[in-house]
Order: sequence, then structure tokens, then C-alpha cells
Amino acid sequence: MKRDAMEPTPWDPEGATAVLDVDGRLADGALPAGLDVRHYYKHLVAARCLDVRLQRSALPMYASSAGEEAPLVATALLAAEHDWIYPGSRDAAVAFTRGMPPDELARQVLGREGPSGGPALPGRVASAGLRIATTTDALGMQLALAAGHAHGQKINADGGITFALCGEGVTTTGVFHEVVALAAQCDLPLVIVCRSQVWPSGAPAEAGVLGDSVAERARACGLWERRVDGGDPIATWAAIASASARVRDRRGPALVEAVVTQLVHDPPAHRDPIERLRRHLDAQGAWTATFQDVVEAEVRGKLERAFAALERGGGAA
Amino acid sequence: MNVIAVLAEAIAELMREDHQRVLLGEDVSTGGMLGLSRVCADDPELAARLVATPLVPATAMAHAGGLALAGLRPIVLVPGVLQVFEGLAGLREVAAMAWRTAGERTAPVLIVAPCGPGFGLGGDAGEGLEAVLSRVPGLRVVCVGRPHDAEPMLRAAAAFDVSEDPIVLLVPRTILTAEIDGPSRAELTRELHVAHRVRVGAAATVFAWGEAVGLALEAVAETGCDATVVDVASLQPLDRATLVEAARDTGKIVVAHAGPRHHGIAAELAALFADDAIDWLDAPIVRVSGEDPPLSAADELRALPTVERIARALERVTTW
Repeated sequence: MKRDAMEPTPWDPEGATAVLDVDGRLADGALPAGLDVRHYYKHLVAARCLDVRLQRSALPMYASSAGEEAPLVATALLAAEHDWIYPGSRDAAVAFTRGMPPDELARQVLGREGPSGGPALPGRVASAGLRIATTTDALGMQLALAAGHAHGQKINADGGITFALCGEGVTTTGVFHEVVALAAQCDLPLVIVCRSQVWPSGAPAEAGVLGDSVAERARACGLWERRVDGGDPIATWAAIASASARVRDRRGPALVEAVVTQLVHDPPAHRDPIERLRRHLDAQGAWTATFQDVVEAEVRGKLERAFAALERGGGAA
Repeated sequence: MNVIAVLAEAIAELMREDHQRVLLGEDVSTGGMLGLSRVCADDPELAARLVATPLVPATAMAHAGGLALAGLRPIVLVPGVLQVFEGLAGLREVAAMAWRTAGERTAPVLIVAPCGPGFGLGGDAGEGLEAVLSRVPGLRVVCVGRPHDAEPMLRAAAAFDVSEDPIVLLVPRTILTAEIDGPSRAELTRELHVAHRVRVGAAATVFAWGEAVGLALEAVAETGCDATVVDVASLQPLDRATLVEAARDTGKIVVAHAGPRHHGIAAELAALFADDAIDWLDAPIVRVSGEDPPLSAADELRALPTVERIARALERVTTW
């Protein structure tokens, strides 16, 4: 059913920048410089395939990231080789996008082997070679480690920057507020990418946001910030690209809040960032069912070989 | 010259020796709350590596860990061991880093933490928090027992040659304010995770750390009891070989320390001796501690064991 692009549903976030309408049309017709949309789309699809495969593996405490791919994939693609990423515990897609081979990814994420042969933690991935830090036990503590790492990059003047990923639930913690204060005060080369969920029927207490904007909080603390629609991969890309460019130029820390919708809540199709970008490509004549099949088949094949080989050895860890 | 001044000089030297070192702490660029960064603050060459931060107690330890992961060697000056506790969730992550990455990534963070009574502030002074810190996986804990040891222990802790795991150097507040004579003792070296027999005798063995080392020596002097006094010094890891040998040598054991009596390192030592020296023991293991907290600021010195009680304990084990 075609819907008026201007009419928001309860699933569409307020005050979040979007450049793709529900049919994938670019509002101002201009793509962010340097963005290869098909390349980006392939990585988004790959991240979704990974999520689907992980759900099949029935990992303990695993929560699907379907619907949240845009900020994860955009961060991983926009991070330079020498930049570091401090992910949260549901962010395996970052490692996949950054080039972790499927075999290693499967070993780590299924809990067969941890980073560098260390202890395994199902669902989580890290790699010193790919500059992806280990996750933390304590809620939000990856932000504090990331701030310290960014501080080290500033002191070493090595040109690198640090990305820290979190969800909106972390933004109620003292750690989050201390990191924002620290980053602002010490002018750290840190990009915080926060995924906030849309709760059409009201957020539960543990979400930590009662309709307010994490980005506004960050702005009040003196950070450059953008609040974007995480269901719109182009807007998400543009915001993270602007943030990382500023931070790379040593113009202070930045926070991007991407408002996402988890697909497990069964939102309207246009809230799915992959579907929204597919519509965009389709409208440009750059998408075909065959293209989709080839992309999916390739990724699924790689994942399936890696995962099945391990799972035949005795199921998920 | 008091120990604070000695350490302030030593910290500046450490900063000059290794340009990867950075100094963190409250007011660190203006000399610090205790003056431990006073010499650094006066040296313009070091200014870029004095990392002044806003008050971020919950994240401070993780922040230092992140700096270490970026290749720096942070020395963190905290007002007291309580601030290590405020950052414990982060410190736990930092201490687990080497384990998590099978040693590929390490976080060599040195935390210098005043502990125990001495400033009249109460608070953590009576709580003996070293026992809790010693339970954090991957964290090393050492405690200065005598004023002259402060500088060599600081240097040994800052070297990170035996391990790159993070380390808390506890310096009792009464030792920080103690005056020491003569020249700087930089020529002294200390092996970091080694217990020291600071006096050797045959009648009994007193195991002590922190302020209790000096009090044990006083008790031995006052009573004339010919006892060995061992400065345990390294609380995690314990120098088990030296400790067990010193226990077997006399078979009569007193453990003296500041802070509460129960659930602490003294109990760990007693268990160690029960395991590895039981056939040599000739008397019950007697613990002498401070009074149980909480203690008001005015009463904080009750957190120390007294010379009299150590003397009575010595009499008890030697006349058993």
C-alpha cells in the first residue's frame, strides 16, 4: 500500500533527520560524497544474513540486531584502517563488515574461541588486527575504555580516532555521562554512535529514554551531535561521515544518535533500513531480484560453510 | 623530607625516563591534591603528559585502561583507595584485558592509592580495602610497609617488567607523611612481588604489611622478643615461598595489619600456613588487626593494630 511520505506513523521517530522517504526517494537528490550505495547495500544485506544465521544458532542471551544494521555497517565502513572501534555486545556485524573472515567470525561468535585465542564469549567478537576492541562486562564501560583510547590517540598524535557503540539503555548510566563530560572537556577524538529504539507504545523503564533525545543531552554537554533516522541508511551514513570527518580534523568529539526499529517488533516495511535502501536502488534502476539473490547467496554460502562446520562438531556453544 | 616529596620527585623522574608515561589524577597539572604531582607540574616539558580530567570516578580506571590500550603507560594518582573502588567496574575490565585477548593486548596501568588512617578524614581509612582489590582477577596489589621503601616500590611497580597487568600501589597515609632522613633512596631496588624479612629472629614470626610493619618492629623492640618480622608487601600475588619458609622457621606466627580483622588477607595467610606449614606450627596463628569499621574521622587511628596488642600476641604464641 502506498502511503503519503509526509504522514508519519507511530514508528517514525520525531526530530530525526531522514533523506530517503518511505519509497526510497532522496529528498534533495544528492548522495553524500564518496558513498558507493551498492557496496553499502551489500554490506547491509551481509549484516542481516549474519543476524539471521546467529538467530538459527540459538546463542545464549542472543538478541537480534535486525533493523539496526545501518549505524553498525556505516561505522565499520567509515572507520579508517588505523581507527579503533569499541563495540557493544550485540555488534558482531561490525567485525563482519570490517573484514573478519567467516571462519574466525563463526569461531568467536559461537563461543569456540575468543579473540587472539583467548577465552570465548558467545555472540561477541573482537580483533586487535581489525582494530575492534573486546567488549566489557560492565554496562557501558566500553565507552570509558574508548574515551581513554581516544585520549591516547590525541596524546600520541597518530591521526587515529575511536568509535564507541552503545544503545540508548546505556545513556542512563553514570558511565555515559562521565564519558560525555570527559570527551567534551578533554576534546577527545571520539565518535559515539548511539542506537535508540522507537517505542510506539511508550518506552519501558529500562530503555532509559522517555521520549527525549540522547543527541539533545549530548548537545547540552557541548558535543557536536546529530539525531538521524536509523531506518534511513543514507541519512545515517551522512551523519556518521560528518561526525568522523570533524573528529578526524580534531574539531572535538561527536555523538550520532540513530533512531532504529528492531524488526522483531514487526514495524512497517519502510522502517527496515535494508528495504528502504532497496527501494532507493530499485527506483534508480540499480536493483534487480537477481542482484539480490547473488548477494545473499554469496554471503549465506560463506556463513553457512563456516557455521555448519563448527556446529556439526556439537551444536552451538 | 617527607615521603610525599620523595615520591613527587620520583614520579617526575619516571615521567622523564619514559615518554609513553602519562600522569592522571585530580588537579594533576597543578600539583595534585596531595602534592604528588608537584614536581611534574613545575616541569613545562611534562605538561603535555599531565592528563587533567573532569571528575569521572566511575570511568577513571577504564579511562586509564583505554590510554594504556593506545600504547601509553598511565600512572594514576587517586586521592585515596576509595576512588579505586568508585572505578572498580572499569578497573575490573582493565585487569581482565590480558586474559581476554590471550595476552595480545595488555593494559599496564599503575594506580598510586593512599590508604589507611592518617589524614583525619575517616572514610575509607578503616576499611582495609586491599582484601577486596586482591580478589579482582588480573589485578596486582602491593603495599608500602616502610617509608624508605616507598620510592623503590614505586619504581618497581612502574617498570612493568615482571608483568603488564595493572597494579595498585597502596601507600599508607601515615607513611606518606613520614619524614625520612638522608638522601633519596633511589639506589635501593625492590623486587616487586617479594616478601621481605625486615628483621630476623628465632622466637616467632610476625607477618605484616603497611603501617603494621613499623608497629611490629616497635613491638619486637619493646618486648625484646627475638622475632622475625616479614613485610608481606605483595598482597596479590603473594610471595608464597618466602612466606611459608618464614612460617616454618619459627612455627609461632602473628599476623598484624591495619583495618578490619575478618575476611581479609590475614585469613588467607593463615590458610596458606595451614596448607603448607602445618607440621611446623607450634601455636595457633594469632591475628592482630584494627577495630572493625565504620570508624568516625576522630577515631580513625583505631584502624591500626597497637604495639601493645602485637606484643601480647607475641607473648601468647611464644608461651603456648
